[in-house]
Amino acid sequence: MNGAGRNNSLARAMLGTISVGSVLIAWWLATSLELVKPLILPPPADVWVGFLDIWHGYLNVPFWNHFLASISVMLGGYAMAIAIGVPLGIFMAWNRAVDWVVGPLLQILRPIPPPAWIPLAILWFGIGYAGKIFIVFIAAAVPCILNSYLAIKQTPPELLSSARSLGAKPHTLLFEVAIPSGLPTIMTGLRIALGIAWASIVAAELVVSLAGFGFLIMNGYRNLESNIVFVGMAAVALLGLLMNLVFLRIERALLPWREDQDNG
Amino acid sequence: MQNDLSYENVTMRFEGRSGAVQALERFDFQVSSSEFLVIVGPSGCGKSTLLHLTAGLYKPPTGRILLGGSEIREPGPDKAIVFQNFSLFPWKTVHDNIEFGLRINGIPAAEREEQIKRVIRLIGLDGFENHYPRQLSGGMQQRVAIARSFVLKPRTLLMDEPFAALDAQNRQIMQEELVRIWQTQRPTVLFITHSVEEAVFLADRVIVMTRRPGRVKEVIDITQITGENHWRSDPFDEVIRRAEFQDVRSRIWGLVKSEISVRN
Repeated sequence: MNGAGRNNSLARAMLGTISVGSVLIAWWLATSLELVKPLILPPPADVWVGFLDIWHGYLNVPFWNHFLASISVMLGGYAMAIAIGVPLGIFMAWNRAVDWVVGPLLQILRPIPPPAWIPLAILWFGIGYAGKIFIVFIAAAVPCILNSYLAIKQTPPELLSSARSLGAKPHTLLFEVAIPSGLPTIMTGLRIALGIAWASIVAAELVVSLAGFGFLIMNGYRNLESNIVFVGMAAVALLGLLMNLVFLRIERALLPWREDQDNG
Repeated sequence: MQNDLSYENVTMRFEGRSGAVQALERFDFQVSSSEFLVIVGPSGCGKSTLLHLTAGLYKPPTGRILLGGSEIREPGPDKAIVFQNFSLFPWKTVHDNIEFGLRINGIPAAEREEQIKRVIRLIGLDGFENHYPRQLSGGMQQRVAIARSFVLKPRTLLMDEPFAALDAQNRQIMQEELVRIWQTQRPTVLFITHSVEEAVFLADRVIVMTRRPGRVKEVIDITQITGENHWRSDPFDEVIRRAEFQDVRSRIWGLVKSEISVRN
């Protein structure tokens, strides 16, 4: 079984490399054979130049400023979404009255895609940090609420019965049975929310900002520098990937009892 | 003797989608203190309902259940229930699962550790204190579930088909283990099973229930057959070959079968 597992992960790594590699080769061929204009698809070398440009301070703004602008706003909105969304979802699931009061409001607000909030966010909070934090919050709160709600609702009834039989009172049932039992589902919600938070900060920066990766992408577009657009997008992708990996590590550390973590 | 259980005219019905289901009808019965009572009957005859009512998980609409003279109103550790699927807390280690009931009932830490150590030795799981449930076999998990209830020194231990999920070998071992563990404290036991053999081996008395709505069809006093030295203290595979065992086994099976095959 171990051998088969190793073969599988080898096959997976090989196919992954081939798929990403062939797209990169196709890109290089298409540009070096001049099949497309550099504005439509900049050659890899131009993108590298664009990267060095940004790294050393594109338009006199150092790279780390863009990084900090995007990350700080995202983390601010994300933290708020967790702080409000998780308890809200939990209490909606635990208390029917809360569900009946809050549920209809959420059902009305939920179908509005986060970018549609951008104009209102600017009107309410201006073009500074607050407006963008609001966008991130709105976007990331949804999976936080939904997964926390689901997590509590799906507590196995026999776990609750067992705990009651052992003498647990309602607050113990919530804090020591339902919440730990639902923690994996809550964590999945937080991970989905992280991805959405990252996507929405970039979207907000595309519309209004003076720094950040969304700003870089939009500025490259305005100056017809498609290599800058590419670098901005690649940075968004890589950082998103990295954050997801870090999150998975944290998730594993927090849930050592999960079945998918067998090491023995 | 304050551990006796009595059922007075207990009725239970559930409102289902296809109308009301009468689970129990005028169930009247007395269980004496420290008695090992096993209930058999066709599927859906209300055996589990009876156990859940006894655990105080819900209240019968009519009739009363008295434990030691006072009516059962809510679940609690004096009438701990053990489920077929073990219902251990998967995020807690063996040690912490057993500690849960002690802790929420306000037992001081030093005494908790002493009790946990004692009961872990009793179930033969020394060295597994820090394992998570998923790392244990079914038989070991059920030992922990029994220990988790047993450590609270319940006056009544309620067991809802506790060994049904185990394979034949483990089931036999657990039956003998249960007898050994039970004899250390001799709580009143209410034990539900589909296995007539298991019932005859373990019980002081066997109740055969009718099909739904469940009532007492017949009560078989095993101690009248075995006398002072109950055969549950002997090895199971030796006991089941005895003629007296086989006689009473087939008599009870006949009673159960007549309830299964009669359809109206």
